[in-house]
Amino acid sequence: MDPVHPWLDPIEVRRLAERLLLPVHEPAVQVTDAGFGEQFVGYSPVQPLGSLTAMQEAAPQPLVAVAIQPTPPPTPVVVQAPPPPPVPAPVEPPPVPQAVAIAQPEPEPVPVGIVAPAPRPEARGPFLDRVGRFRDWLHHHFDASGIFLLDREGAVIFDESGHGKLHFLARSLAVAARRPGGAPANVHVKVGAAATLEVIPVDTPYGCIVLGAVVPSPMEPAAVASVMDALRSVASPQG
Amino acid sequence: MGKTTLSINLAHAFARAGVRTLLVDADPQGSVGLSLTRQSRLLAGFYDFLADPGIPLDRLIVPTRLETFSLVASGQASDYESGGGMAGSYLARVRAFLRAVTARGFDLCILDTAAGLFGVTGDVIASSDSVLIPQQAEPLGIRSVPKMLEGLNRLRVMNPRLSVLGVVLTMVQQDLAESMEAAHALRQLLPQDLVLQTMVPRDALFVRASARGLPVGVLEDGHGAQAVFDAMRAEIEAKFDIRGHRPLVHG
Repeated sequence: MDPVHPWLDPIEVRRLAERLLLPVHEPAVQVTDAGFGEQFVGYSPVQPLGSLTAMQEAAPQPLVAVAIQPTPPPTPVVVQAPPPPPVPAPVEPPPVPQAVAIAQPEPEPVPVGIVAPAPRPEARGPFLDRVGRFRDWLHHHFDASGIFLLDREGAVIFDESGHGKLHFLARSLAVAARRPGGAPANVHVKVGAAATLEVIPVDTPYGCIVLGAVVPSPMEPAAVASVMDALRSVASPQG
Repeated sequence: MGKTTLSINLAHAFARAGVRTLLVDADPQGSVGLSLTRQSRLLAGFYDFLADPGIPLDRLIVPTRLETFSLVASGQASDYESGGGMAGSYLARVRAFLRAVTARGFDLCILDTAAGLFGVTGDVIASSDSVLIPQQAEPLGIRSVPKMLEGLNRLRVMNPRLSVLGVVLTMVQQDLAESMEAAHALRQLLPQDLVLQTMVPRDALFVRASARGLPVGVLEDGHGAQAVFDAMRAEIEAKFDIRGHRPLVHG
């Protein structure tokens, strides 16, 4: 009896092996602006998010990245949160928080299993206005802070975090989590005792846009799916 | 899988050829250190470097009688690592280690990793220029090849410059039909370029060399075995131009 072939699919093995011999397309990611020192080993989970610089100097802590599938669960969402009140476009740019605030008191976190409705599509306006409403929606429903958007080249489209290191981290995670030919998948990484950087790449008509947001805990797949839909809508030229 | 034997003797073959070689024990079980230095469990090593940015590489390097051959033991901080963990946890530190190796002037760094493609092993592969895969010539081992190929393809997304030097058949028993059949089956399955021609035989010499804490080529009757690793070195050199820093990793 053949000791090997009954356990293997030779065509699949051959395909996998031949892929290893092909060059891999290297995405053009700018790493020179990241601001990481050579000693950077990740964020300390015990430091408050108010001092990212201090975190870098803290004792090294393992960085835990978990990729989850962006597909929502097959069952319908159990509870729907009430629609958010209409939010006017911001008159002036939002203040850049000194901290990637886990201490922001007001926003109500969305309980597990609840998907917040996306910002109202009828109120479109210019792109940055839509992004502003999207940001407010994330603040309100997911207790998110430090929100930023990167374009397919890794350049910053929108940022309230003020931290290039978070951009770099998000960029790296998004690239690492992306499988050739596959749909973009979200990744999250713990950046503080009660803070997780959620990285959500979304394919849009303008290419892949990467959303980064600091949330109190990793987002549920259904919530990720709703954020993806909302961002896709925000980034679409037509509603 | 014979990876430690392969790492030690291949590193020795490169060092004998004048390549400044650093052999790093990146396996928490510390087999390279145990094989070559009696005091290895007391030495600071690779995992201490990962855990403590304050430890310089120079403190970890153990010289050997061969000027071009140095070692880094697994270290004291490796105990907690046996569970593996998520790849990515130590990526920055592994890369810092390799930068330090380059700065120290080594031509080649061979890292003997723990089996599997997760945890620190994943980080090492995601930081290396090339990977060599020891594969025991027996049917059970060959059946795991698809998983390994899948894992390497994933890691190449993280490290697009990773070159797969190929699979090395180890512990080959010429007098055992199952072993030879398994070796043959692997060559049938994989593209020719992905399986090295040189195979490492199962040989009592390796056990004797390990007992004395020496590469097999140093034994009085080790010339035949040394020739195997010299041939493998030549085969790898033909695949990969070893100039400057070229970290290799064995999984």
